[in-house]
Amino acid sequence: MDYILHLATLVIIYAILGLSLNLVVGYTGLLASGHAAFYGIGAYSTAILTTSLGVNFFASMAAGIAASAGAAFLIGAVLSRFDGDYYALVSLGFNVIIYSVFLNWHGLTRGPLGIPGVPRPALFGMDFSSGVFFLALAACFLALTFLAARFVARSSFGRVLKSIREDEKAIQVFGYNTVYFKLAIFVISAGMAAVAGSLVASYINFVDPSSFTVMESVFILAIIIFGGLSSLKGSVIGALVLVLLPEALRFAGFPQAIAAQMRHVVYGLFLVVLMLYRPQGLFGEFKL
Amino acid sequence: MEILSQLILNGVMAGALYALMALGFNLIYGVTRFFNLAHGVLAAIGGYAFFTLSKMLGLNIYLSVATGVAIAGLAGYGFDRLVYSKLRKRKASNLVLLVASLGVFTTAQAALSIIFTSQFQTLSETAGQEALSVLGGVVTRTQVIIIFSSLASMLGLAALLNGTSFGKAVRAISDDEEVARMVGINTGRVTGYVFFIGSALAGLAGILVGFDTGIQPTMGMGLLLKGVIASIIGGVGNIYGGVLGAFLLGLVENLGIWMIPGEWKDAVSFLLLIVFLVFRPQGIIKR
Repeated sequence: MDYILHLATLVIIYAILGLSLNLVVGYTGLLASGHAAFYGIGAYSTAILTTSLGVNFFASMAAGIAASAGAAFLIGAVLSRFDGDYYALVSLGFNVIIYSVFLNWHGLTRGPLGIPGVPRPALFGMDFSSGVFFLALAACFLALTFLAARFVARSSFGRVLKSIREDEKAIQVFGYNTVYFKLAIFVISAGMAAVAGSLVASYINFVDPSSFTVMESVFILAIIIFGGLSSLKGSVIGALVLVLLPEALRFAGFPQAIAAQMRHVVYGLFLVVLMLYRPQGLFGEFKL
Repeated sequence: MEILSQLILNGVMAGALYALMALGFNLIYGVTRFFNLAHGVLAAIGGYAFFTLSKMLGLNIYLSVATGVAIAGLAGYGFDRLVYSKLRKRKASNLVLLVASLGVFTTAQAALSIIFTSQFQTLSETAGQEALSVLGGVVTRTQVIIIFSSLASMLGLAALLNGTSFGKAVRAISDDEEVARMVGINTGRVTGYVFFIGSALAGLAGILVGFDTGIQPTMGMGLLLKGVIASIIGGVGNIYGGVLGAFLLGLVENLGIWMIPGEWKDAVSFLLLIVFLVFRPQGIIKR
């Protein structure tokens, strides 16, 4: 039962990451490949603020969202002038740099040792430390993220994003400054990713740099491409399938270290096969 | 003064390695027009192929280098045949190819970790580590070998591209693939060979890094980024620009850590990329 609760919580966290990334990759057509950087900024914000300053979990999440959105604003100001493969490459490079900050800024992040003892949230005397309560809390955040993403996608702002994806030049002719729109959605997406980061830090009670590598970004990308770009339902289902699928390896009896790498093999191959045979994924309305 | 010349020497050394990565990356980009993110893992494949042959099977060192380079080349050729050429045939967009190469990268890197464990392995033993003094700085013999093999590869590639009919075909495809096919160039086969050569260069870079410091399965991403940053700041798709960019990157990165700890090298090189993207996105030499 604990195991099922654990998997459900992981699915929810990755669904939040998928939804937020889909706004940039699916709706706007920009291949952001550094999502784990913002996920990590959220996680580290919660870990640092709750352990060393004793800040409440929810306040630390708000700070994480702000920090992540701020970082996204800085790098996005450069990124948004580009599209296509440059966008993919610079966001990937940003992920590598943020990872090296987590790894090397010992004073703040304790480097490779990570930060242990991140508490579970508590609010008005309500304690979310048991698995069921935490799952419920995470589900609430997933619902909020889903509604926010749907609101963005269906708004007039979202329609501009889709037209940037279809033909950026054409929408510029109508007087839209597309750079601002690309920057705005990137910042929003990063803020949402920080929510998932805060949740995971508190859920696992521990953060370390190895959870926020480029590999993690590729995993999130695989989730939304499998589920379908520009489909919010697809992101949730993609998270469900891609989190649960490698769990089968655990039952196949591989040792822990190899199972972790097998997981990478599985979703790496998954991406290649998707590109070869079904680039639009399950419910995608947009193909890269 | 001594530290300055040492930093410059280190910069040139790093530049020579990045140039090898940039050469292969640019060559492949020139004919296929997509960012092949799997390029980095070929360096790791080359390094581990050498490690297996030389350290585990005890083969002669020169033979091991040659075979290791060839194995990396064949792996790149294989990725092209199995994945990229099929996507190209279907006229897939360059982003589809990029995502596919990300998948190839992830799979191959994880496979290396499973086979060889994630442990750091050094390739050189004591041999080749006696230091020479050059212009007030110190270089090891390994590093001299790095410089010379990198220069030899550059010259060899330039001769290949400018002096042979194969080189003409490569340049024709880089200019316009449709037209190249119309005049009877077998573009699929030439592209396959380009993948072999480019990947072999990455494999050589991987082996040389292994001699200088050591190898581990995750070495590919860092080398890839350096190669791509060098290509972009030099002018992407222009192989001479890439070499220039590589040496500039090596120097800036090593001089950049004069006052700060060495682990921030990657951040310095990323900053250089950002500066170029903001002020000169087309790179030093425009294609």
